[in-house]
Amino acid sequence: MNCSEWRRAACAYLGCRGEPSADLLARVDACLDEAYSLAHFAYIGKTYTALPAWLHKQPYLGFLAGCTGCVLEAMTLGSEVERRVRALMTTDPARAVVLDACASALVELLGDDRERELFGEERTPRFCPGYGGSDVADNAWLFRELSPERIGMQLLPSGMMAPQKSMAGIVGLGKRGQRACGACMLRPTCNFLKEGTRCFRSENNF
Amino acid sequence: MLPLGKQLLIMDGGMGSELERMGLGELLPEDCNLTHPDAVRAVHAAYAQAGADIITANTFGLNRIKYRGRFPLEDVVRAAVENARSAGKEVFFDVGPTGALLAPVGTLTFDEAYAAYAEIARLTSDMVGGYIVETFSDLYELKACMLALKEHSDKPVFATMTFDKSGRTLTGSTPEIAALFLEGLGADALGVNCSLGPEELFPVAERMLRATGLPVIVQPNRGLPVLRGGRTVYELPDETFAAWAEKFAAAGVAVLGGCCGTTPETIRRIAHLGGKAVPARSVSPVTAVCSATRLVRFDGVRICGERLNPTGKKRLKEALAAQDFDYLLGEALRQEEAGADLLDLNVGVPGLDEAAVMRRAVCSVQESCPLPLQLDSSDAAALEAGARYYNGIPLLNSVNGEEDVMARVFPIAKKYGAVVLGLTMDGSGVPRTAAERTAIARRILARAQEYGIPPHRVMIDTLVLTASAEQPLVAETLKALSEVSGMGVGTALGVSNVSFGLPARGLLNRTFLAMALACGLRMPILNPLDADMTGTVRAHAVLADADRGAQRYIACYKDAVPAAQTAGIVSPSPSVPPVQGLAESVLRGLPKEAAAFAREELSRCAPLEVVSGVLVPALTEAGARYERGEFFLPQLIASAEAAKAAFAVIGERLGTGAALRGKVVLATVKGDVHDIGKNIVKVVAQSHGYEVIDLGKDVAKERVVEAVLGEKPIAVGLSALMTTTVKSMEETVAALRAAGCTAKIFVGGAVLNAELARAIGADFYTPDAPSFAAALDRLQIKPQST
Repeated sequence: MNCSEWRRAACAYLGCRGEPSADLLARVDACLDEAYSLAHFAYIGKTYTALPAWLHKQPYLGFLAGCTGCVLEAMTLGSEVERRVRALMTTDPARAVVLDACASALVELLGDDRERELFGEERTPRFCPGYGGSDVADNAWLFRELSPERIGMQLLPSGMMAPQKSMAGIVGLGKRGQRACGACMLRPTCNFLKEGTRCFRSENNF
Repeated sequence: MLPLGKQLLIMDGGMGSELERMGLGELLPEDCNLTHPDAVRAVHAAYAQAGADIITANTFGLNRIKYRGRFPLEDVVRAAVENARSAGKEVFFDVGPTGALLAPVGTLTFDEAYAAYAEIARLTSDMVGGYIVETFSDLYELKACMLALKEHSDKPVFATMTFDKSGRTLTGSTPEIAALFLEGLGADALGVNCSLGPEELFPVAERMLRATGLPVIVQPNRGLPVLRGGRTVYELPDETFAAWAEKFAAAGVAVLGGCCGTTPETIRRIAHLGGKAVPARSVSPVTAVCSATRLVRFDGVRICGERLNPTGKKRLKEALAAQDFDYLLGEALRQEEAGADLLDLNVGVPGLDEAAVMRRAVCSVQESCPLPLQLDSSDAAALEAGARYYNGIPLLNSVNGEEDVMARVFPIAKKYGAVVLGLTMDGSGVPRTAAERTAIARRILARAQEYGIPPHRVMIDTLVLTASAEQPLVAETLKALSEVSGMGVGTALGVSNVSFGLPARGLLNRTFLAMALACGLRMPILNPLDADMTGTVRAHAVLADADRGAQRYIACYKDAVPAAQTAGIVSPSPSVPPVQGLAESVLRGLPKEAAAFAREELSRCAPLEVVSGVLVPALTEAGARYERGEFFLPQLIASAEAAKAAFAVIGERLGTGAALRGKVVLATVKGDVHDIGKNIVKVVAQSHGYEVIDLGKDVAKERVVEAVLGEKPIAVGLSALMTTTVKSMEETVAALRAAGCTAKIFVGGAVLNAELARAIGADFYTPDAPSFAAALDRLQIKPQST
């Protein structure tokens, strides 16, 4: 895993738009080991050459256009890091938010690494129900296909997943894609965009 | 009667995979009991013919929470048991997890899980030969299940947990924890199943076999799963599975079966092991307690933190009376950090419902603090409430030599598998001589055994009397300690009692601690924040050859500087510029300095001038820096923490506590479990001098209404992360309005905006914590004066 990318992504989760200050980096660095040791990454991925019926609608069809297949996937860091964040909220809340950000960035990066390892570079970024006008309720389809309960995940009636550091999504195969803001649910209120940057690594930032 | 533990028993293998092979993969396996009973019976018959002694009903997902099939639960239960019975063998009901995560990670409560399993037990107890509780990964859910089965049925219960390759469950329990826990809760056989193949499960099973004297059950998958054409398949050859089965049997496993991917052929290959004598194992019992993730074995000295006890602690008393469990948790976590191995928890405050408070305190502490608990009360109802909701095996403090006390407490200890602390006193008080105290210890141990509690589940406290009042008796305590320790029983002492009434108490405490450790003390109950006391325990571990190579000692003290050498040091860190005043302390996030400067300011200005003239402007500046992108979340929060420290000093002067600007109720709404945003708002609001009543996450609207009506805050803040939970937020706002709430209603969260806030009837939308606090300040310009 690329550690410098992890640090930058954690800083971005903490709201840092641009080059992180030494103070912020020091706070992030102080949490990386703990985040890593508390993370118990578990992943389930299933490959499809024919799209499952529930993906035959927008925005999924647009997202998967030109792909030769897709992967449905679910992943989690487990609940230990969540418990530690909860504890730190009582004793050292400044550290709690940093550990939380490190964990958020970590699940994304470990997910990217696992996808790269399993499916190579010819793949799109992850697209999760809730992004880009898609319905978060579609998570129910992902759960039906993958049974991520096996790795300790649960889909709550609200469409949220537990543990908190969990993700479920779709990856297109056979096409290289780049992250873009069009798919993001936070686009209308995004402070990064307002300032002409991105929360992810791109030519426009970092 | 099954020859459990004497002769090896064979259980059956996979059901779902067999039904899938028969073309029924699209159906819910449980529904097949009614839609395709012949197919289900055929699978059972095949396993019976293959040599299974026990047939498992096709009921893995059959509980009220998980089952989403087409039929009434009762009908499926009955059909499943009848189908299993048709094979002509002993039938065990298969009990799987609910599939829902328990709070605080998920939203399911312990009582809801218990109710679902109690229903199953009530429906089935007369119909089956026993239960196989399997594939659990959460100890707490397993506890709900075990209690429900044991309280509603007298049939045997086999219980297995599922472990990953690192030897832990998804919630962080080890095989040793699972063994201690299941043994304590009365499992008849315990072990491991699923997740892994026999090769990978073997080391896990070996750990179980070393950890328990009970029969061990193993049900591996047929190897690790492989993806073929989008389907999960198991391809380990049956003969390989059978070869591993031989190894399991030789190692002492008492019940063997299969899990995912195993077939009647797999079971046929291992059936010849059935009926063979189970090799005898010798497991030396060790006194131990556990939480879900920590095992504390008293095979060495273990520190029990004493600070969660309101006796003589005004702030803790107030916190318990106000149900402020955050304060309790903070104390728990500080003790953990200081080196405690387990924590004493006493919530006895006159006028409070001790059982109810104990239950909430146990739940609050265990949600965030991993240390095992010693539940401390003279009220048996409080001990029972704590033991029931405790996620692990607790220590119960305490019984003494009085018969009625033992009669009240031992049944609780037996039921929940707890270790009991026995005090060597009785109705006549604390005996003066060691011999008398040892006699009481023997009586406690004997009576415990009558209740089915073996000696390794008892610890003895030979009771410390104060040296100022009973100087000659200090030696009697130590003599009794040596004698009890010589009996092979774990010992405990509340060490610091020795020094009451004398000066330089620390000196006496640590000297007495060293003497007691030398006499065999296993569990000193002490203040772990006292570095001299924990240091004495660490030093003792080196000198008693328990800390081999002094590794832990060196890790703790490698940078220690002798006190004499530090005396003249003025500035330990010349590179850090000194802090200039209160405002700068806040902006640099330095709580100690902020408190010190607040005291200095108070010598010059009135308290409220310090608030409005220095603190509020500093916090406003921190908010502005956050807004400008010069501060990020951690710096903002560090500033808030420093301001809180200053407010605490000012509040002390005013006699109001740190919250001197009014009360605010905060909640993350029902259905929403992401609460970090709300927690940040809480810290920042507190830093502005507001008292925050934090209702937590996944909060029902009724609870918000109740709190708002009861607490009469100036504002209520609701948080929601997703569009789906905004609905719940809207309902909460409506409920507040309907109840006549006059407090201003604030909403926030990732998907909220001003327009949506208006649409759902809120008064204010604030995008972040500083803007929430600033809006509160505008509402409530003037702090309350005294």
